[in-house]
Amino acid sequence: MTKLRILFSKNGLVVFTLALLSGANAYADKPEFELAIEQHLFEPSVLVIPANTKVKLWVSNKDSTPEEFESYELNREKVVLGGQRALIFIGPLAPGEYPFFGEFNPKTAQGKIIAK
Amino acid sequence: MLLTSVIIIIREVLEAAFLISIILSLCVQLNLTRHWFKWSLAGGVAGSIALGSQFGWVSNLFGGIGQELVDAGLQVFIYLCLLYICFKFIDHYFKPSGSNATFRAILTAVIACAMTREGSEIYIYLLAFQDLPEGGLSLYGGSIIGFGIGFSCCALFYYWILSFSVSRSLLLGCVLLTTMASGMMLQAAKMLIQADLLPDGQLWDSNGLLAEQSLAGQLLYALVGYEATPAPAQLMIYMVSGLTMAGVIIARHQYWRHRQLPEEANQYGN
Repeated sequence: MTKLRILFSKNGLVVFTLALLSGANAYADKPEFELAIEQHLFEPSVLVIPANTKVKLWVSNKDSTPEEFESYELNREKVVLGGQRALIFIGPLAPGEYPFFGEFNPKTAQGKIIAK
Repeated sequence: MLLTSVIIIIREVLEAAFLISIILSLCVQLNLTRHWFKWSLAGGVAGSIALGSQFGWVSNLFGGIGQELVDAGLQVFIYLCLLYICFKFIDHYFKPSGSNATFRAILTAVIACAMTREGSEIYIYLLAFQDLPEGGLSLYGGSIIGFGIGFSCCALFYYWILSFSVSRSLLLGCVLLTTMASGMMLQAAKMLIQADLLPDGQLWDSNGLLAEQSLAGQLLYALVGYEATPAPAQLMIYMVSGLTMAGVIIARHQYWRHRQLPEEANQYGN
């Protein structure tokens, strides 16, 4: 109850906001992972990343057509044009499986990230 | 390809369609000019083509987070415009007068920006897949169906809001614009999290209760910013945006109510 009072007090709200903002970018060296899109398929289709760690995910689209990396579970969506490479920050994730798909080719472009 | 096109177009069109229908119906109810609408449509189409054709360049800005920053910037701009629009709608309800140039420009800009955000992705999608063997008829057929469903939702919503009295449609319109605008701030926060400018996290997962990708989930996503797995930063920004907008609307309404009371008292006194 006291914590709630502090959180909703004027100073508490400022501290909470600053804590939120300072939380971002607090991870100096983020591990990097690569994901490719080729023939409307993700390669690898299963990507294992460390749990509770923010990572940089590079998505390279080797097709000539664009793709949208999308995941409801990860809360991510990003258009990657044909022949381009895009950066997406992911996590820190609790251990578990997080499916993703290509919105422009959802039948073939399917994959999942496993955080462990 | 047909079904994929239908789903993509509906998802992209729905939010702008709801926004257009609410704003247009309130303009009709409040006897405000709608001449600006043709310019907002033209601006939306031009913006979609401009952003869509420069998407690669935009994406690579700021070390690869340009796409997120432009999208978040547009969402914040739309939120501020909607805040101003609700404020002016209330003014016009209590004191009807012709819309000024600033108000018309903001109305034009908000719809043009909402269309640009979603339209640029439609432009990229259609342009890239039209020449493929599996594209063509199914691509355009699916797109026409998707646009048709989006337009139907827009028309249905437009006439539904018109079916209320002026005061009730103003209340309904302001509530919906507040939830939509807050939802856009929630999406802006999502983009800033994706760009690592705000911290990520997960408060809850309500996908079991209502899947975000379901039809109802998508409708609620467009209307109230439904997110099945929101981050704490998203929820905080959503609540602050919603409460600020609701506060401004209520304060403006109360201001006019208090100004009217002495006038009414004077009328009856005379």
